[in-house]
Amino acid sequence: MTAVSAVTIATRDLLAWVKRIGTRGRLIAPTPGPGGDVLYTAVSSPEEILWDFENPLAPPKQFLLPQTDPLVHIRRNGKGVAVASVPWPGRQILFNVRSCDVKAFAYLRKAQARDLSDEGYLARDDQTVLVSLACTRPCPLGFCLCCDAGPFLKDGYDLQLTPLGGRMLVEIGSAKGGELLEGGEDWFRPAAPEDLERRKALEADARRHFGAETCHFGSAMRRVSTGRVPAALWDKMADWCLECGGCTLICPTCYCFSVRDRAEDGGWTRCRIWDSCQYPAFTLEASGHNPREHRGKRVQRRFFHKVSAQYYQRDGDLGCVGCGRCIKTCLGTTDMPAVVAAIRKGEWHG
Amino acid sequence: MADLFLPRVATVLSQRDETPDTRTYRLGFRDGAGQDGFGFKPGQFVELSVFGIGEAPFCLASSPTRRDALEVTVRRTGELTDALHALAPGDEVGLRGPCGNGFDLDAAEGKDLLFVGGGIGLPPLRGLIWNVLDQRARYGRVTILYGARTPTDLVYKDELKAWAARDDVQCLVTVDRAEPGWEGTVGMVPVLFDRTELRPATTLVYVCGPPVMISFVIQDLLMRGFGEERVISTLERMMQCGVGKCNHCCIGHRYVCRDGPVFSYREIRSMVE
Repeated sequence: MTAVSAVTIATRDLLAWVKRIGTRGRLIAPTPGPGGDVLYTAVSSPEEILWDFENPLAPPKQFLLPQTDPLVHIRRNGKGVAVASVPWPGRQILFNVRSCDVKAFAYLRKAQARDLSDEGYLARDDQTVLVSLACTRPCPLGFCLCCDAGPFLKDGYDLQLTPLGGRMLVEIGSAKGGELLEGGEDWFRPAAPEDLERRKALEADARRHFGAETCHFGSAMRRVSTGRVPAALWDKMADWCLECGGCTLICPTCYCFSVRDRAEDGGWTRCRIWDSCQYPAFTLEASGHNPREHRGKRVQRRFFHKVSAQYYQRDGDLGCVGCGRCIKTCLGTTDMPAVVAAIRKGEWHG
Repeated sequence: MADLFLPRVATVLSQRDETPDTRTYRLGFRDGAGQDGFGFKPGQFVELSVFGIGEAPFCLASSPTRRDALEVTVRRTGELTDALHALAPGDEVGLRGPCGNGFDLDAAEGKDLLFVGGGIGLPPLRGLIWNVLDQRARYGRVTILYGARTPTDLVYKDELKAWAARDDVQCLVTVDRAEPGWEGTVGMVPVLFDRTELRPATTLVYVCGPPVMISFVIQDLLMRGFGEERVISTLERMMQCGVGKCNHCCIGHRYVCRDGPVFSYREIRSMVE
């Protein structure tokens, strides 16, 4: 707790604070959706915000990497065209984001910053404030513990909230986060030693409640990185993959995309649109050649990107934050813990 | 790079049919000044777009030593290339790039150079060949071996003749199937290996063509004593962004659009996915 400063705010003052935050940019938070779902949406009144919820199936990545993401305006201009980059709307605050998803944003930033950096994405990220809500209980399918992505975070957030009962602990992780406290001096008081003790105890308790069956990446990483997983095992693991792409679309760290021109009045907008390495046409070349025609090869690709040592060294992190969404969404069983277990044991349960 | 995805507008200056389905375009930036600022290496590619249809990667087929225009040679094979073939001089296209690593010209200095092209695989080599020929004194012997399915499918027919006529270049051409009037060699590209003097110890080989051709040419070269690091090829993958972000062209953790498309056979063989 040394580098982090922390304050507390009484629960009764929370909504007033959130209301003020809403004046600083677009406020996005978990809200009740249709059919009992929880959705991250832009909120107009703080009363809509959920404080105790199971992490939604759709991660908040769409607020930095929209499914259809306008990049370039192309406008007819006489006989020719005029092209211009599409500006990003501005500041946004992502509120009550779970630890795993906060960690995923850090991963996405690294991927966009490395090598040729996507300055457009980095500018968005700079204009985004992440307010994390620590998890005092594991969610039913989560294994963030194995990915160093929760249930509480050490860093990577702008603010981290922990409910202490009657008051909220607010840990400040960045200057951007600190700005959200400005003007609310009456609400905040420095965290007392017992507040920090309580936070520690809550984290320890949350960690104890993870099941014994978690996700052991170490040996899977070794085997995937050296190409030592037999093709027949990949094929078996892919056997119940229906090629729906769900695992990648709801994955908070997946960012594969294609580029398409969308027709509009007066021209087109060139958009980055989500794509999935699990789709057969992802690697289909104009010649008809497809290096990943077989489903097993595509499943292999997905897990190589997530857990190989090559990517771990490149990105400094696993491509998995243990949110468990792939477990929930897969109509078969080709999810992260199942695949990691199969690679370790050398056999598929199916 | 300020904006990875923002194309520059270029104009079709002229076009030339190479084969019934393949055409070479000469392109110039709309703001003429852009031409001089566009530095590239042979083997690099551009993301070329027809506005409203989309963009795709095409290798630069011209040499950086010739700055009056950029050239790409395009085979008609899908939606975008259909749209490209419908363009006429004066029409506008989008250009992003240059992308990729390109050929290492410094490494080629002083060496004998052997170019082995198949079909539509000659365009990436053509930029390198003209670069070498425009600075001829820097390199050793230059040998160009080229094969296509039929005489009709040969690209750059005039240049093949011009290269063959030079006494500082050996240029041999073969076709898989002859047509009436063809008096040259018939057979797959490796038949030409026996018609030239190969010097594995002093030569760098550049191989480009369809995957199956690359594969049997490289195996043949290895049998004839060329080292894996001396055989240089270009890989193709489905690409979207061209800047190492979209993940379409990955082989393992290597990105064909950034780490390639030029790789030595030693690098290709070490790839794990």
